[in-house]
Amino acid sequence: MTAHGDTHEHHEPGLQHQFEDMHQQEESVSIGMWAFLAQEIMFFGGLFTAYLVFRWRFPMAFAAGSNHLDEFMGGLNTLVLIVSSLTMALTVYYAQKGNRTLQVVMIVLTMLFGATFLGVKAIEYTDKYNHGLVPVTGWNKKVKEDVSAPHVTEQDCTQVGHGDGDDHYVNPKGEFQWKDCSLVKLAQDHNYLTEDEKIGYFTNGEIDANKFRDKVRLFYYIYFVMTGLHALHMIIGLGVMLWLLWKAWIGTFGPKYYAPVEISGLYWHFVDIVWIFLFPLLYLLGRHFLH
Amino acid sequence: MSDNHAEHEEHIGIPGYLVIFLILVFGTIFTYFSSFWDLDSIFPGANTLLALAIAFTKMMFVILYFMHVRWSSKTVWLAAVAAFFWLAIMFAFTMQDYFTRISGVFSV
Repeated sequence: MTAHGDTHEHHEPGLQHQFEDMHQQEESVSIGMWAFLAQEIMFFGGLFTAYLVFRWRFPMAFAAGSNHLDEFMGGLNTLVLIVSSLTMALTVYYAQKGNRTLQVVMIVLTMLFGATFLGVKAIEYTDKYNHGLVPVTGWNKKVKEDVSAPHVTEQDCTQVGHGDGDDHYVNPKGEFQWKDCSLVKLAQDHNYLTEDEKIGYFTNGEIDANKFRDKVRLFYYIYFVMTGLHALHMIIGLGVMLWLLWKAWIGTFGPKYYAPVEISGLYWHFVDIVWIFLFPLLYLLGRHFLH
Repeated sequence: MSDNHAEHEEHIGIPGYLVIFLILVFGTIFTYFSSFWDLDSIFPGANTLLALAIAFTKMMFVILYFMHVRWSSKTVWLAAVAAFFWLAIMFAFTMQDYFTRISGVFSV
């Protein structure tokens, strides 16, 4: 505090009139941001609760759905976000040091990694669209009937794949496609299924492909809502970083005034934390069943 | 702490941030490869438990060091802890319902 004992006489340029000194202002701003993050935690928390309820109920359908996500892409994106968190932390560091050049460099790097994350996400979403894994009817790629391919009129549970064979399935209405019952069959053979799951997947004691598909569809609903909301946070974060870039460029921040950099960092790290949980919970379920 | 402004600005410096970064990278790679081990044969849900334990550890490093909570005031600590406390209430009160339902009541 000794460094700021004389702030009243000097009138810090970044000091708002309602605060005693820069330190009090900085602390108030941090607490305000944490209050916002607390409601963000509850916001995502509702979705995590939905995930918990349905995964508890249908673990095999969730594992089956998860196995069709690209875990390499998910892992890559986790690393990309962690690097962006590092550059964000360094942005705050250089703002505190008053180093304008490195501040700007770090902000640009953070934005670059944020954009990379969204690019990878776009590739993944496109893949899901092409393979009929978007849970909303009509939002998938419409595949017109192909006379040269074997015509599949009924959901065949023994057929592995959900349209991976590209031209070997038809989907004229763009419906959610799921024909892979291999995991639930494996679970049935090893007596893994709970009574609740049997009610959810079976008709007359046999695996019902349509009933199982709808449980997998539930997983994809949760996947798209959670990752979509996370991606929206990334886009908003990029907007905040753009504003920060401009402010840093004109040399706003220094050892005495860096609160906007600090709270933008808090937001960016929060979005990173959400992904740290989304990655194992969505991408890495039941992978050991595949071996 | 908050009274020592020099320390407040310095935090852990660039080497410190790099160490945290490497811990986070290691955690991610470990999460990825541990998901292929069949831990569920030890007890059901062990794979998920390990993945969540790693994620929680990573989160603590991000919160304490990248988000500077370690050097923050008690009120910031309170806001952060309260957020997770309310989250735990939401999970606990929701799941005490679903965990105790008789099979088939909440069906299909």
